[in-house]
Amino acid sequence: MIEDGNPPGSDGDDATGPVGHARYSSKRTPASVALEAAARAPARADLETEPAVTLEDLKVSFGDHIAVRNVTLSLPARQVTALVGPSGCGKTTVLRAINRLHDHTGGLVEGTVRLGDIDVYAPDTDPELVRARVGMVFQRPNPFPTMSILENVTSGLRFNGIRNRVMLREAAESALRHAALWDIVKDRLNQTALRLSGGQQQRLCIARALAIEPDVLLMDEPCSALDPVATAKIEDLITNLAAEVTIVLVTHNMFQAARVSDNAAVFLLDDDRVGELVEVGPTVEIFDSPRNERTKQYVTGHVG
Amino acid sequence: MTSIAGAPSAVSLKAALRRRHARRGGRSYAVLRWVAAGLFVAILLGLVVSVAIDSSQALAHSGIGFLWSGTWNPAANEYGAGILVVGTVVTTFVAMVIVVPVGLGMAAFLAELAPRWLAGPLSTAIDLLAAVPSIVVGLWALLVLSPLFANYVEPFFKAVPMLEWFFHGPAYGPSILLASVVLAVMTLPTVVALSRTALKGVALQDREAAMALGATHWQVVREVVFPGARSGIAAALTLAVGRALGESIAVAMVIGNSPAVPHSLIAPGATLGSAIVNQFAEAAPGIGTSSVIALAAVLLVLTLAVNAGGQALLRGIRPGRAAKAAT
Amino acid sequence: MSANSGAVGGAGTGFGLGDGDATWSWAARERRRPIIQGAARRTLGRRRLKGKLVQGLCVLCAAIGIAPLVALVYYTAQRGLAGLSLGFLTNAPVPEGISGGGISTAISGSGEIVGLALVMAIPVGLMAALFLHERRGHLAGAIRFGADLLTGVPSIVIGIFAYALLVRPLHHFSNLAAAFALAVLMLPIMIRADEEAMRTVAVDLWEAGVALGARRSRVARSVVLRGALPGLVTGNLLAISRGVGETAPLLFTVAAPTFAMTLLIYTDGTQPFPSDQQTAWATALVLLLFVLVLSGLARLIAWHLTRRAR
Repeated sequence: MIEDGNPPGSDGDDATGPVGHARYSSKRTPASVALEAAARAPARADLETEPAVTLEDLKVSFGDHIAVRNVTLSLPARQVTALVGPSGCGKTTVLRAINRLHDHTGGLVEGTVRLGDIDVYAPDTDPELVRARVGMVFQRPNPFPTMSILENVTSGLRFNGIRNRVMLREAAESALRHAALWDIVKDRLNQTALRLSGGQQQRLCIARALAIEPDVLLMDEPCSALDPVATAKIEDLITNLAAEVTIVLVTHNMFQAARVSDNAAVFLLDDDRVGELVEVGPTVEIFDSPRNERTKQYVTGHVG
Repeated sequence: MTSIAGAPSAVSLKAALRRRHARRGGRSYAVLRWVAAGLFVAILLGLVVSVAIDSSQALAHSGIGFLWSGTWNPAANEYGAGILVVGTVVTTFVAMVIVVPVGLGMAAFLAELAPRWLAGPLSTAIDLLAAVPSIVVGLWALLVLSPLFANYVEPFFKAVPMLEWFFHGPAYGPSILLASVVLAVMTLPTVVALSRTALKGVALQDREAAMALGATHWQVVREVVFPGARSGIAAALTLAVGRALGESIAVAMVIGNSPAVPHSLIAPGATLGSAIVNQFAEAAPGIGTSSVIALAAVLLVLTLAVNAGGQALLRGIRPGRAAKAAT
Repeated sequence: MSANSGAVGGAGTGFGLGDGDATWSWAARERRRPIIQGAARRTLGRRRLKGKLVQGLCVLCAAIGIAPLVALVYYTAQRGLAGLSLGFLTNAPVPEGISGGGISTAISGSGEIVGLALVMAIPVGLMAALFLHERRGHLAGAIRFGADLLTGVPSIVIGIFAYALLVRPLHHFSNLAAAFALAVLMLPIMIRADEEAMRTVAVDLWEAGVALGARRSRVARSVVLRGALPGLVTGNLLAISRGVGETAPLLFTVAAPTFAMTLLIYTDGTQPFPSDQQTAWATALVLLLFVLVLSGLARLIAWHLTRRAR
């Protein structure tokens, strides 16, 4: 991952020219990137007043070890919120608390997580139903190896009981189009997904997550295993998808956050080496004029 | 270790001596290693050649039809492996019918459902079952299971209306069914251990991806874990078949030693292995003995083919585990 | 929820998805969403129930799977203990009708046979494993493949081989022939286990050794052997426990059943007389205990080994 502030790769095509090779002389900072991105972005319609996801006093611990605590955060609907910070500060832990993936990892989640008006951790809430409303994309592209492309995309729908062939087909096409993958795979839907390139596989995973029409899309460092060209395409995708899906993006790359997100939440380690939320706000503010001193240190590169 | 030219010090002399000693030691070691390797190859080839040569007399007598001829009648000097191959295949098949669901179910239990304090000891227990000598299993089957089968199990199956075609005739105990159960008990550990490893080997990320889509635990297991473990399970089953084909002494004790066409699972029968055990001592020297050895040859070819397949499947997963698994 | 999905900025229409009629438009997605959520909710009960059913089945299978071991150990212990006594282990067999006999000849005979087999198999196995370990190439691969094949050869076929090689030409049965059969049986297991033990140790040691300037000398080799010792011991113990329990190869090579425990179990167990069966059970118990202890020991060493490595 080339962290020099230059947008990775050119627009659209699989250009093979020198990508992201430094214009070392230009002094780009996350702040300048954020300002530029905000200037380019179209004006959004009036924001929804009701946030898509709310976290109140969230704390996640594994046995005696507390991973992250005191997280209170609202994720606005139809916007990209980036969870940024150095490795190990709890960003991914918080992300996985949203769709209850900690049920299986032995993590204890305390506090409240709300998805719209649903209390995610209420005793009478079914985790499977929560997960059916939240899509997730992981660090390494992980299409199911024993399924074809079509089966991969429709897997979420089939898990949830949709059998109607027509609907499966339509949903698959829709999801693949939204992931900018339809034209590439439309003639080989029955082939294995493993022949696709890394970036294409990741977009397949995005399509798979989108197919169940989630309210929120969680992305855990989705570009960390990809080359710059593929990364650029996915960043474009994120920007385009945000119009209809709330996106929560975990990234340790400040420049990516600056390019792509509307809001940013900064996670750092506190004195007890426990992750905490230091500051949250619109991306431009966080990078250009942060209020918290530690945030300032982080975004200007002095920390982490 | 090169000494500076022209100045033989005590150190360099010692080093030179050590080197010479090491080289000489190295050479004698090299010879030993080659001898050992050669010995092993000789044994391997010797086995095949010896069995082949000793079978030739029988094949000359009975012709190639030996392989599928249905009569094994030493008194009439008629020898044919066909009926025994059928018996071998039938017992192995019925054993697999038992072992596949039970083995995979148990493997799934150990890999997915059992809490850690249970999974460890239970897995060890199943591995210990693999260590029990086949003669002990045979003894137990003969003296404990056989009366049980004669008095309860076989009449039970006979009473089930739909299974009449499979279960009819007098229920004495020793039967194809009992032999199949014995084979199932002996191959179960292989299936459970290898399948469990295969199931656990499915990547966590694939499982989580399915969970994140709203799948229940069982859906994750059925749609992601089992398909992902396909090749490991195939290897496990193939190796189990290979072992079942070759098991002789335990089968010989409970199958009833009757080389006739089995018309019912409750009837006695015979397999290649059991026939070799039961017939060798009384075989007429010359053609009789040669025919029994020819049975061994058929068994050898059969098991080698199946095991080679199983090893190949295992190699596809991880080389080196193959031999450990076959023990 | 949002009212004008098509009208939100230029970003949303980047795919040409503003058209409300296409199945992939935003509007169509809004229509699909409740259907999907509804299906998820409706089918959850059924899906969970299926899971519970299968779970129950798996528990049942586990219970069925462990039952044979439990039954085996229970019956062998119960019936074998009755006949077990110090005299049983130390006395020689006596003719029919006289009491007070034992299986001492069988125990010593088995010990002798297995001991001879080990003398033959362990060194050859070690040397062959060293050979495989230090050479690459087709020959090594072929030998490795041959070892894997040989592990699958039925023990009865090996018994016939030993008969043809050592019994028939010499015109008499012998413990040596039996030992040879067991050695052939154990050899491939030992070779592969030994090589595996060496391989896990060797990589680190080789690299460290090469970095320090050592050559492929005897010193380096003995270091590898010493490091692989626990793995070697484990592998060989497992091979031994396998060899001790074999009967078929002994059928064609041993002079009389009273010279080997496994054969004794076979001949006495198949007799209709209770006293013979009693002997069989007691001998089986002795054998079972021995094999289980051996396996347990091997496992303990292996566990200790992995614990130390951590």
